[in-house]
Amino acid sequence: MELDQLERESSTQETDLKEKTKPYLTALIGWSLPAIEAATRLNRPFVVVGPPDFESYAEKHDIAFVGWDFHKLNEGSDLLYKKLKALGAELAVPLYEECVEWAGALNARFREEPRIFNRSLLLRDKGMMKRKAQIAGIKVGVFEEARSIEDVKWFLKRVNEALLKIDGDVYDPIHVKPLDKAGSVGHLAINTVEDVEKLQDQDFPLLMESHLDGQEFSCEAFVHKGKVRFLNITEYIRLGYSNFVPASPSLEEKRPLIEKAVQQLVDAFEIEYGVIHPEYFITPDGTLHFGEVAARVPGGHIFDLIEKAYGFSAYEAQILCSDPNTTNEELELFFPNPSDFEGYAGCLMVHPHTDYVKELNIPEELEEHPFFEKHDLFTPPQGKVAERIGFGNHYGTIFFHGDDSEEMRRLLQLYEEYNFYR
Amino acid sequence: MAQRTEDLVERFTHALQALEKAAPFAKSRYQTDVYQEANRLLRTEDGLEQLFHFAHQFEDIGVFQDGPWENAENLQPPLVSGSLKAKGVPMIIEILSELRMLAIAKGAYTHPKVSADMAEEFLNEVLALNLNLLFPDASESARIEKHENDDLTSEVFQFIASYLSTNALTKTLVSEITRITAQRPIMIKRVVSMIRMGKEMLKSDLEYDERESLLTYIEAIEGPSPLSKQYRDLSIYRSRLRELSQQELRSECVAMAASMRKTGLTCPHHATLLRVLSKKVPTLIPYALQLNGKGKANLEEHQDMVTQLIKVAIFPATCQSIYGLALMLERGVLSSSPVMPGLRRLIELDILPDVRTALLKTVRNGEGMTANSILVAGVISVLGQPLGVGQGFNPTCQAARGISLWAQHAPGVLLELIPRAARDGDIDFTFEGLPIHSKDLTGGLAPELHTELDPVSLVLVPHLDRIYSEMMTKVALRGEDGHRWVNPAFYGDWVSKGFSTVIDPLTGFINDFSGFVRLFYATHHPDYNDDYELIYPNPVGIFITNVRGKLLGFHAVSIIRIAKDPSDQYRVYFYNPNNDSSQNWGQNIEPSVMGNGEQEGECSLPFHEFTSRLYAFHYNPYEQGDAYAVEPHLINQVQQLAKESWGEDHTWV
Repeated sequence: MELDQLERESSTQETDLKEKTKPYLTALIGWSLPAIEAATRLNRPFVVVGPPDFESYAEKHDIAFVGWDFHKLNEGSDLLYKKLKALGAELAVPLYEECVEWAGALNARFREEPRIFNRSLLLRDKGMMKRKAQIAGIKVGVFEEARSIEDVKWFLKRVNEALLKIDGDVYDPIHVKPLDKAGSVGHLAINTVEDVEKLQDQDFPLLMESHLDGQEFSCEAFVHKGKVRFLNITEYIRLGYSNFVPASPSLEEKRPLIEKAVQQLVDAFEIEYGVIHPEYFITPDGTLHFGEVAARVPGGHIFDLIEKAYGFSAYEAQILCSDPNTTNEELELFFPNPSDFEGYAGCLMVHPHTDYVKELNIPEELEEHPFFEKHDLFTPPQGKVAERIGFGNHYGTIFFHGDDSEEMRRLLQLYEEYNFYR
Repeated sequence: MAQRTEDLVERFTHALQALEKAAPFAKSRYQTDVYQEANRLLRTEDGLEQLFHFAHQFEDIGVFQDGPWENAENLQPPLVSGSLKAKGVPMIIEILSELRMLAIAKGAYTHPKVSADMAEEFLNEVLALNLNLLFPDASESARIEKHENDDLTSEVFQFIASYLSTNALTKTLVSEITRITAQRPIMIKRVVSMIRMGKEMLKSDLEYDERESLLTYIEAIEGPSPLSKQYRDLSIYRSRLRELSQQELRSECVAMAASMRKTGLTCPHHATLLRVLSKKVPTLIPYALQLNGKGKANLEEHQDMVTQLIKVAIFPATCQSIYGLALMLERGVLSSSPVMPGLRRLIELDILPDVRTALLKTVRNGEGMTANSILVAGVISVLGQPLGVGQGFNPTCQAARGISLWAQHAPGVLLELIPRAARDGDIDFTFEGLPIHSKDLTGGLAPELHTELDPVSLVLVPHLDRIYSEMMTKVALRGEDGHRWVNPAFYGDWVSKGFSTVIDPLTGFINDFSGFVRLFYATHHPDYNDDYELIYPNPVGIFITNVRGKLLGFHAVSIIRIAKDPSDQYRVYFYNPNNDSSQNWGQNIEPSVMGNGEQEGECSLPFHEFTSRLYAFHYNPYEQGDAYAVEPHLINQVQQLAKESWGEDHTWV
């Protein structure tokens, strides 16, 4: 690979780089093997910006790499742009939550459009995000930012007063979550005043919101030039545990409504390129409440499920949509019709139900079920031999694939209760 | 699992193909599926066979890439069983790796760095080290320590063995046994269980040499003499002994002793024989021990004491101490004045309950032994085989080294310490004017002692370990390597006061390495040290490196002597308390335990190779030779070996 000498001193780079600028480098912000694979498959020249720990691995495999600590923010942060620019990067694709504003800042400089950075910040502060949505007329719950335990108690009290609860009534819960963490990280439901005391000083500031009823689902919208080019709807069985793609017919029925809402969101947030991953609640009468939105690879193996069901690589789609130079024809050729899917793809993320795990127990009827595709659960190693093994998640996931969304739902519900680890 | 094997093979094939197609950097994403499908196949009847069909492709496809099993040439047979016992992924990869080795051994796959012979050798060693799993249920302990994966592991080993020659495996086993017994350890449990396993091999077709050497070892622990072969049962053997003529009895003695001297191993019958002799025909004892002139003289001088010791301590359960007894007599230890009263004291010692329990645990139930007998037998072993003391599975090399040193040069000290620990539960040392009592201390390097130890170590190590640690703590902040003061205080005045270390204790840097090497040559190498002979063992610190020369940690050994080997090369002969001295230290530095002029229990290295692993030693400041005279090329040679091994983990200034 012609890009593997990136780390050289600038003096030696000067001459080579003129030529290397030509390939129009894509900077993948965050270390993600599937994203690197996708970029390779697309035959795009790319550079990975990731935690310095990955440097030796990247070097071993000839992956152009810039080590970067995303949590360090100082006057030297500009260096990343300079490094990438010098390499010939023109475009940044965020892969993880904490990479979003970095990619925003980089793209703002690449395209000389400072507001891109501000937009990315909207996606990194859940309080700002809600406010923006509200201003744009998107239906959200009641929310406030809290700076202390007192704020939370007050909010809980006022929300329930508004719901006309009187002394002795069971409170409606509120939800609190960190302003800038991915998905359900740090999310906590608060039912009583006592629950509030569980919060620690370091949890603040946080976002509080009223409880939203309805079915929760997420969308993965691939946006190019401000237009949603493909919308996937992921049905949640239980947030953080199980979901499947595409959504069941009863939810897919609402697709026109959902498409409209997502486009509204894209317009409101002035999102031009890339992928967004909003979460909504939908009530039986078809009212949509906006939960939150992220602009990165979603969790829950959703990209894998999209690939299984629709046959295209969502990672490739993300890269294509992040690039302003991708043509309309390319995108039309790339994305299938949303109704054109090959069965439902679902997965169950297995968390042990006990504190101490000893052995793995996979029921035979699970593996023999025609929907069973594969799993990556292993008996947890014991004793001294706890070597690093070449995959990321430690408890594992079970993948299903089949043609009936009801059966999929049943399986996911059934095995979520199952004790795989004892 | 009820799925059909063909379906599983197909699933495995798919997973393997996906991995093959994956870009090199992305292999880890697809390895999981391969491991999963391999695991499913392993649980089927001929799963191993099915997997083996693919084994020649594993490496090229990337099954092991970026993991600990990536480089076949770096794999080590002793680590295999650990991975196989671990559940989950390590076990699966380990099995796949064994199949890869088998494919290499069988010529199905040509590996750039591992030849077919090397692969076969690797597998033979793995099997030799895991005979209990190759022949399951052959031993009592295997049953007790049975592990969940054992059935599968046995299957794997049997599968591999079916492709290899039993003869080669036996050869490996015999050389492993020879290597261990050459060091004459006091604790022989491991080697005995290997020999027992080896019995199974006799059932298969072996070549003459292999069969004979194996038989020698089997007989050594089961009965090498005509009568003991005939009468396995000890009580029958005993009554038959009484019927033998003097002549027959003598050949019985000679056969027993010959086997013991050859292998360093004894059998329970030997104890019975000795007990009968001591009562009926004490004149035959020298034959039963194959004593040399000095031994005979010592026996004659202390006949009563020896008779008493046999009566008290030599039982079938403690038969290994017979070898210690023979060597003790030849070392003339009984003539050292504190020894006889010291031993007598132990016979009647009032042993603390927990010590008693620990001692009784070293023999099987129903042997009818007393803790005192076990302790005395242990002392006999230690006094006879000071270099046979081992640290077992504990990080307590210092304590083992102390016991060994005192057994060699200060049996009186040892016989003082033992009753203090066994009876009083306390040992006290004076360090720089202050008393240190082990009973007041906690912790140490081995707060939970692994108890597969000889009786003396079992009693002393918990105390010595804590005292040594306490001494090191007291000097920790002096800005110099604490061993300088601790070693002489702990081991005694036999340790010289001069001390040199290669690591700067404040910075951790390597400082003036050539000066360090020069000083070692000038104080230890006969060509430069004005012919001062090493009198007492010198406790030195060494860097332990693995087969690739990578630093593993620090270790304590004692230099016993420095002398020319049969090929006229100066070697350092040393005592390694880990009792597995012939490990490979990388860079072709392999300590040997026999064949290079080693005495029993010693291991040795050429002088410069030993020096390259040294990090601290003591010397007598008044006995220095000519440091300036050491040739630069010698120093460069040592320095290069050091820099390219443990030195890579240190800063050199």
